[in-house]
Amino acid sequence: MATRETTPGAILPPPRMTTGKIGWIRNNLFSSPGNGITTVVVATLTLYLLWLLVDWALGTADWAVIPTLGGTLVLGQYNSDSVCPSNDCFWRPQASLLIAMTYFGMLWAAAATALVRGVALTTAFAAAAMALLPLPFDEMGMDVRLLLVANIPAVFLGRWLGRHTPLGSTRNLIIIAFLGFITVYCLLSGTILGFVDIPGLHTVPSRFWGGLMLNILLAAGGITASLPIGIMLALGRRSNLPVVKMLCIVFIEFFRGVPLITLLFMSQTLVPLAFPRDFPLDEVQRAGIVITMFSAAYMAENIRGGLQALHRGQTEAARALGLPPWNTTTFITLPQALRNVVPAIVGQYISLYKDTTLVFIIGMLDILHMGSSFIGSNREFLPHSRELFLFIALVFWVFNYGMSYVSRRVERNLGVGER
Amino acid sequence: MTNGDASDNGVEDIIIARDVHKWFGSFHALRGVSTTVKPAEKVVILGPSGSGKSTFIRTINRLEEHQRGEIIVDGITLSNDVRNIDAIRREVGMVFQQFNLFPHLTVMNNITLAPMKVRHIPRAEAEETAMGLLERVGIPEQAEKYPAELSGGQQQRVAIARALAMQPRIMLFDEPTSALDPEMIKDVLDVMTELAQSGMTMLIVTHEVGFAREVADRVIMFDEGMIAEEAPPNEFFITPQSDRAKLFLSQILH
Repeated sequence: MATRETTPGAILPPPRMTTGKIGWIRNNLFSSPGNGITTVVVATLTLYLLWLLVDWALGTADWAVIPTLGGTLVLGQYNSDSVCPSNDCFWRPQASLLIAMTYFGMLWAAAATALVRGVALTTAFAAAAMALLPLPFDEMGMDVRLLLVANIPAVFLGRWLGRHTPLGSTRNLIIIAFLGFITVYCLLSGTILGFVDIPGLHTVPSRFWGGLMLNILLAAGGITASLPIGIMLALGRRSNLPVVKMLCIVFIEFFRGVPLITLLFMSQTLVPLAFPRDFPLDEVQRAGIVITMFSAAYMAENIRGGLQALHRGQTEAARALGLPPWNTTTFITLPQALRNVVPAIVGQYISLYKDTTLVFIIGMLDILHMGSSFIGSNREFLPHSRELFLFIALVFWVFNYGMSYVSRRVERNLGVGER
Repeated sequence: MTNGDASDNGVEDIIIARDVHKWFGSFHALRGVSTTVKPAEKVVILGPSGSGKSTFIRTINRLEEHQRGEIIVDGITLSNDVRNIDAIRREVGMVFQQFNLFPHLTVMNNITLAPMKVRHIPRAEAEETAMGLLERVGIPEQAEKYPAELSGGQQQRVAIARALAMQPRIMLFDEPTSALDPEMIKDVLDVMTELAQSGMTMLIVTHEVGFAREVADRVIMFDEGMIAEEAPPNEFFITPQSDRAKLFLSQILH
């Protein structure tokens, strides 16, 4: 049989998707009369709404309410006359921030990834940039501004410590995180965990902590603690030991089945039961414990989902190699499960951060309720509550978008080697 | 020793199975399997799907628990005693149909993890051994890649290297080439043949008749959870005794 000879044609470039900007607009926005009309209508409406917003924000709106509240939005009553008679307590939250930044610097040294570096530097520079806020100096003094700028050296100090001292090992970083929270608590309260007053520090009971500081404090504690607790609950729920399994199921289902508001109410009576009588447990600690447990219960189910999704062959291969169950979990199943559920974990973090506003239930004034109580007692600002709440919403959005962005980057970084 | 009757040379059996039974719920998967394997013997296990051949080799490192009978591996009786299971798993390496590499670890870390964690070998030494094994299976240049970046044949060779890194005395292969594209099967079989020539004790579930003829000392055919026939490959493939074996061979040797 004769074979026909064919000459290979020239390799053609892929057809062009678009022909410049005008081509893109024509293809995507005006591809048919119906689409064209829709585009015009939607564009007009969007521009009109945008114009309304800009016109309001720059014209009608009176943003004076925000500088009037000023530091109260950030610290609540912490530095007010009634709590801190000479208004000299402001440095304690600021020093806490410096501790956090130093820790971020250590994480940067330990993780050595562009992402952690970015988070550490962005937060440090953002905090320092607050020093440039156009507030009058009697409202925000030079000392406050200098302590804010000090966040930049703090992050580099942390990096140096992480690199050149044994503090940077994983085990030490975990211990430092724990000690850091205790130090911050002692510093803010002016007591040693509520037992003994620290001489020279004015005691500030935690019911006077408030503003953004309170949201961040509760969120930071919850975010740090709920992941390891959630992991343990998830593993416990999959355990072969009936008692462990049962306890974990009861714990998870209880905290998932009761609304957080109810739990916060109950924290007043329920949480102290878990501690020795007369143990000095204040509102912040109770709220923190309840929020953490609530979040950990959801976290546990997210992680369990990630574990269930793994192919059975993974554990079989690990078992066949003689890896004991604990090693199999630590090195094989858990890393893969966590990687699979990063979006769900960060979703839980965002939700936790927003839920910190619910502590008003037990009489604490976070940034949101600081604002609403101010409006409530200063009726002349009532017409401008819109500006205030928009600003507070923006503050939450910035933090949560930051977490969301980090989550996307983590997913991309961890995707290495995945199909 | 490449071929012939291994039961005559007086060496102690490394695997002894006596009347092994296994149920999955009400399904009777193994119905009284008895056989022995000598050190350095290569046993190929054939049989139709669902005949219990995979289940049988998975009972040897206790990925499946047998419910009746007795299995003794390298002098250790398989029981629920965790120490015995750990000891046996250190002696027995396994290669799976689906490779089961750890996708979040590089090839190098896939191989060094178990030696470092189980045998407490220092990293440098474990990595040196791993490089040696990767050279042996012919892909030293892939050490720093992730499993998903390799072809199926390369992944299966990594899986073999990973099992060998624990320095097992016995290797179990559960249909090692069934998930591979045809052009990659040979690479894997070559590695297995080389391993067989080095004197490893091997139990291989496979459908590769050519490989069985070349490498096996003995062929065991499973059917409905029982051993239907057991013979050296030349006898089994040329003059099978049982009707079941004749039928099966007529189906696979078109």
